[in-house]
Amino acid sequence: MPGYAELFCVSNFTFLTGASHPHELAERAAALGYHALAITDACSVAGIPRAWAALKAQPVKLITGSWFQLSDAPAGEARPSFVLLARTRKGYGQLCRLITTGRRRADKGQYQLHGHDLDSHCLDDCLCLWQPPPLAGSDAQQALACGEWLQQRFHHRFWIAASRPLEADEEQRLARIRWLADQLRCPIVATGEVHMHSRERQPLQDVLTALRHRCTLDQASPHLFPNGERYLRPLPVLQRLFPEPWLRETLRIAEACTFEPGALRYEYPADLVPANETPTDHLRRRVREGERRRYPEGTPERVRDQIRKELALIEELKYEHYFLTIHDIVRFARGQGILCQGRGSAANSVVCYCLGMTEVNPAKVELLFERFISRDRNEPPDIDVDFEHERREDVIQYIYRRYTRERAALAATVIRYRPRSAIRDVGRALGFDPALVEQLLEAIDWRDRDTDWRQQILDKGLTRNPRIADRFFNLVNTLLGFPRHLSQHVGGFVISAGPLAELVPVENAAMADRTVIQWDKDDLKSLGLMKVDVLALGMLSALRKALALIGEARGTPFTLQDIPPEDPDTYAMLCRGDSIGVFQVESRAQINMLPRLRPTTWYDLVIQVAIVRPGPIQGDMVHPYLRRRHGQEPVAYPNDAIRQVLERTLGVPIFQEQAIKLAMVAAGFSAGEADQLRRAMAAWKAHGDLTPFRDKLIAGMLERGHDPEFAERLYQQICGFGGYGFPESHAASFALLVYASAWIKRHYPAMFYCALLNSQPMGFYSPSQLVQDARRHGVTVRPADVNHSQWQHTLEGPEHHLRLGLRLIRGLPAASAERIHRHRPRRGYRDTRELRRLARLSQRDMECLAGANAMPGFTRNRHQAYWELLDHEVPAALFAEAGETERPEPPCEQLPEPSEGQDILADYHSQGLSLRRHPLALLREQGCLRHCLTAEQLTTAHPGRPVQVAGLVTGRQRPSSAAGVTFVTLEDETGNVNVVVWLATARHQRKPLLTARLLHVQGVVEREGEVVHVMAGKLTDLSHLIETLPVRSRDFH
Amino acid sequence: MLWLYLHFPHMLLDHLRRHRQSSRPLAILSGQDPRVAQACPEARALGITAGMRLKTALALAPNLDVIQTQPGQDTQVLEAQARWLYRCAAHIALRPPDGLLAEVASLQRLYGGLPGVWQTVAQALETHQLTASMALGHTPEAARLLARADQGECTADTARIRHRVTGLPLSQAGFDRTTTERLQRLGLTRLGEVLALPPAELARRLSPDALSHLQKIQGTRPDPVQPWHPPHVFRQEVDFLQDIEQSQGLLFPLQRVLSELEEELRWRQQDTDSLHLSLRHRQGDDSRIHLRTAGPEHRAEAFLNLARLHLERHPLSAPVTGLRVCVRRFLARDASRGQDLFGKHSHPEEAWHTLASRLQARLGASALQRLVPRADHRPERAWAAAGALGEPHQQRPVPVLPGHRPLWLLASPYPLGEAPAAWLSGPERIRSGWWDGQPVQRDYYVVQLADGPLAWVFRDLRNDWFIHGWFG
Repeated sequence: MPGYAELFCVSNFTFLTGASHPHELAERAAALGYHALAITDACSVAGIPRAWAALKAQPVKLITGSWFQLSDAPAGEARPSFVLLARTRKGYGQLCRLITTGRRRADKGQYQLHGHDLDSHCLDDCLCLWQPPPLAGSDAQQALACGEWLQQRFHHRFWIAASRPLEADEEQRLARIRWLADQLRCPIVATGEVHMHSRERQPLQDVLTALRHRCTLDQASPHLFPNGERYLRPLPVLQRLFPEPWLRETLRIAEACTFEPGALRYEYPADLVPANETPTDHLRRRVREGERRRYPEGTPERVRDQIRKELALIEELKYEHYFLTIHDIVRFARGQGILCQGRGSAANSVVCYCLGMTEVNPAKVELLFERFISRDRNEPPDIDVDFEHERREDVIQYIYRRYTRERAALAATVIRYRPRSAIRDVGRALGFDPALVEQLLEAIDWRDRDTDWRQQILDKGLTRNPRIADRFFNLVNTLLGFPRHLSQHVGGFVISAGPLAELVPVENAAMADRTVIQWDKDDLKSLGLMKVDVLALGMLSALRKALALIGEARGTPFTLQDIPPEDPDTYAMLCRGDSIGVFQVESRAQINMLPRLRPTTWYDLVIQVAIVRPGPIQGDMVHPYLRRRHGQEPVAYPNDAIRQVLERTLGVPIFQEQAIKLAMVAAGFSAGEADQLRRAMAAWKAHGDLTPFRDKLIAGMLERGHDPEFAERLYQQICGFGGYGFPESHAASFALLVYASAWIKRHYPAMFYCALLNSQPMGFYSPSQLVQDARRHGVTVRPADVNHSQWQHTLEGPEHHLRLGLRLIRGLPAASAERIHRHRPRRGYRDTRELRRLARLSQRDMECLAGANAMPGFTRNRHQAYWELLDHEVPAALFAEAGETERPEPPCEQLPEPSEGQDILADYHSQGLSLRRHPLALLREQGCLRHCLTAEQLTTAHPGRPVQVAGLVTGRQRPSSAAGVTFVTLEDETGNVNVVVWLATARHQRKPLLTARLLHVQGVVEREGEVVHVMAGKLTDLSHLIETLPVRSRDFH
Repeated sequence: MLWLYLHFPHMLLDHLRRHRQSSRPLAILSGQDPRVAQACPEARALGITAGMRLKTALALAPNLDVIQTQPGQDTQVLEAQARWLYRCAAHIALRPPDGLLAEVASLQRLYGGLPGVWQTVAQALETHQLTASMALGHTPEAARLLARADQGECTADTARIRHRVTGLPLSQAGFDRTTTERLQRLGLTRLGEVLALPPAELARRLSPDALSHLQKIQGTRPDPVQPWHPPHVFRQEVDFLQDIEQSQGLLFPLQRVLSELEEELRWRQQDTDSLHLSLRHRQGDDSRIHLRTAGPEHRAEAFLNLARLHLERHPLSAPVTGLRVCVRRFLARDASRGQDLFGKHSHPEEAWHTLASRLQARLGASALQRLVPRADHRPERAWAAAGALGEPHQQRPVPVLPGHRPLWLLASPYPLGEAPAAWLSGPERIRSGWWDGQPVQRDYYVVQLADGPLAWVFRDLRNDWFIHGWFG
């Protein structure tokens, strides 16, 4: 037996076709003793890195190739179908170019290649395996014409691929292949046309085929393969099916293909380094410049030491270009006045501090620098840079400009099957009633940890037949995690020295003008390629705007660095839970935590950011930490190593890094093993198996003399993180923004709210909620008015009154608002005609303004304003000249005056908020809410006392960390009421809980420190009161 | 002129609920991203309303039964209602998707006054177990608006009707959304307030459509009504909420349909002798049953007996999800039987049908069948026997899968007793059909047996050999 190399094999990256993961194919090929395996997905190399990672430690050679079917028939009627294999690195580049052409031409997810593309692309380093057309499709002469055409393009790099799927008429097909080879004088090579690693996958392959053709299995027969023979066959079977020369030919081809994905070396763009400098020198010089800025009185010796260490490591690992590239992007942003901040493990280095990528001062957080760049992990450093969300596009355009689209593209994100989509698709293929499947999906409680979703489906009565149920779950289980399509990564850029399309194919993303490469971040990591994360953060936009407003008010520029550190008033405000609008700590859970944790330093904020996360909450870290913090529980450490890891969080692991580090110091994991644990934790939810790590962790801890109880508790804590732990390196950067935004809120509230409102949408709260909070903090808010407002919200006068901008008015375009502002006469507009004429407003614009009552200076009320401008008998242009002398239209006496309620609702309808009285105040005055306490009165209510409250429902949450509990937030004229609804209560009162817009709650007051909740008993839907308030309220939000 | 309008707020739902025993809440869905189109009173009591997303509806009522509408289904059901209304009133019109209009001024004498008309229609609604709100108006549009708002009453008094119409809230005044919004923004809440505005001023501010709508309500603009007449076919469908597994279970819904047929025939003063009954299954083709009576017939009982006899003899092949009764052949009451059989006026297809049904009646329905191809890799399922009376033009073309197949495929394979003399081709491996409980895993060969014939043989998983067919 000569051995075998499989040269035609598609993975599940040929979406809805291949039925095995690349790694499954690779592992099976190795187990079967194949000499080599080519992964040849349809116009794609997306599966290559995963196969490569699986084969690294195996003697099987990985060949990179791709399978193509042309969209036209350049010769005869048959459309050529063939596999191209990359012979060398050059051939790989050629292959990537061709794939890029085919993908860029078609819509996302498709490809289109024509005969002429094979002429216009150089493919002289690729090998071609031709798949002759099927017997039924064309006669011998047609097939020959097709083969001749293709052979002329590849000459001696041309084979006919023969497969043995054991289908009908196989003898005739093989005879045709022999005849073609004879006519073309070319060799025949054995291939498997592999679609799955094992025959067991045939059912799934059938399901995928049915899905691809959008039909059920019953209807799919014409498209299905008659059997499951397209799998990786054992060598003896191959030997029986193929003549020996055909098998030997596979080895000859495999021998010729010397390209290995590991040979791809990322060549970082050298653009940034001057010709007369080495990258190391250049980086060193940049850092020194930074040092002078950061330490004007001279760099402390300790810091200088650290810099030396870091630079040595960077040099050793050749990461200079990476740091220089990010530095360049950050410098561009700074030059444009775009706020940005880096985070991530590598970002917390002195080098990054000096280069201006981060503001986290190393003097404050020594401990963080332990985990700078791991030498052992052999992974590129990880720095995420956040930019103002409204101006990130500028940064992206800069990157495209600087490196061109040829050399820069976004990384892909592989969208995979999740339980919901897998159940839906398998159900569809098996012909289950779609409405039934939807019903099941809706009924499954994914957060119910006690009952597996499979059991839930059975309980809900999908099928009574256990065989069908079994098959269904098997298929769903196998399909889980299969890739469905490539999407764009949120901001991970890959930048290369040479043309990117020769490193990895580039394809279209769904968004116009965006292109993505065929690999995702894990693929890049496994091939050792680097990406730069350019992310968007709304708070940075808001901060920049607030700083500018403060600067204006103070008469001198004001920057983040000018904010005084550790201001007690700011912390006092946070300790009260007064944090609406503040970065990261504004959610209801965070607001409740603030008075309990009582942060008084920056590092407390780092903990605050990380502690309100599913990881620490599920791992039950919160209560022990709080108890120890307030001295109600002693802090003890089993040994010094553990003390080192946990001391800064009082012995309770809170950060992801600590969980990993604990595995190392308490259970003796190596850095590599700990990193595997981290990945397993991240994937835990999807694949769900930490058992191998459990045994090892517990054994390791017992070995090191820890008692079993401690070992078990620690294991549970690590599990609790389950991928939801928050890294300290990110929390540290975030905490800076928490402090900065809190300080501004405390000392410059008008600027704070104005900036936040101008950065919408962002954060947790609607403009209405922000405006109410602003007024509670003493800011005077004035309504939008064509004679005073701009597009943006502005501050007026020495008192800094907040004037709402025209941007609030729904449906009014920014350009129209700009014209209203620009063309406004000094004395203001005097009537609607003048406004319409000078600002060149459309009828629709005018209607928006009337609806928002934004013309109070010259209209009696919104009804009359609307009546006046609905009259389209008068062509505006005709009166353009005579505008000044135009007599105003008499008001229509039959129209009713708006009532207060009508006005309030119309305000909400047109702007999403109202500066008039809160609807609840009106209802209370009308006696509709007798016995109900306001949010304000509730703060002084006695715990345990039965109360009634009512309010507009502004939030309903069922956090995954609180089993079965629904949190409802009610808003009234004095503030917010937190209502807690237990599962049993919720089950019995679904209707009011889920549909009420105005909810009345009877319950019991609960108090913990300053946090007050109402535990709900009876819920009553009072939404009809809004409707009777005045008129319509369908769109009341 | 006086118009009666019938508005069916949940016509499909009534149609479906008539045939169901369960009292669980029920909703009808429509659209790709399913939303509730209609909800039964039980479901509405739980807070489910039209337009709600399925997700929300299920959150409110986890045990909700849901049914997806078929396109065109509502028109069919509406026409079924029109058919009985046509028997009460000569001049009626459809107002899709859920309304019927009838001219009633001319009927008053026939029914002894307006209350008589009202009662008659109300009674008919009750007989058909339909929920409808009725209203009278002097214009079709006024009647429609009042019915939709459930503001109708049995009066022809102009002032009263006008009072009702002007009291309608804007949202129920039948304007398009933009117009409704515009009028609301003027602070108006009721139709009467709109009508009270100075007409010339108002006309300058409304779209031509909205203006014409206002005029149609008031009758100052003609609103022609296209009269509807019933088609010359009887077709009635029933959709079951739960699959029916026993033929007994079919008799109850069938009886209701046949009663309606009887009513129709009686009203037409006609008979029939030929009834097409189709039973729908979840998968596969419908079961078609052709019932022929001994002579012209109109009594539901006679049809039902015939159907019962047939169903008793032929057990159901699969659970039934719905049934349809269709009658295309109507005979005048006095026409003598058989006059047109094989006569020169008879259609060849009709003649074939008559012959086939006679053969079937004599030999039993299963004795007469037709071969049709099916796309399936399993040889025994690559063809199917279709009822001889199937309608060929309704079949979709079936792609024929490649492969050399014997002319004579044995009904069941039998063991191969001898070693073949020659192996001519193979193996052809067929491994398919895992999804419907009849999987096949075989290797097929074409062989020549010792005494000469060409056989199609296969080896199964247990390594046993069988003959499955003979080549010519």
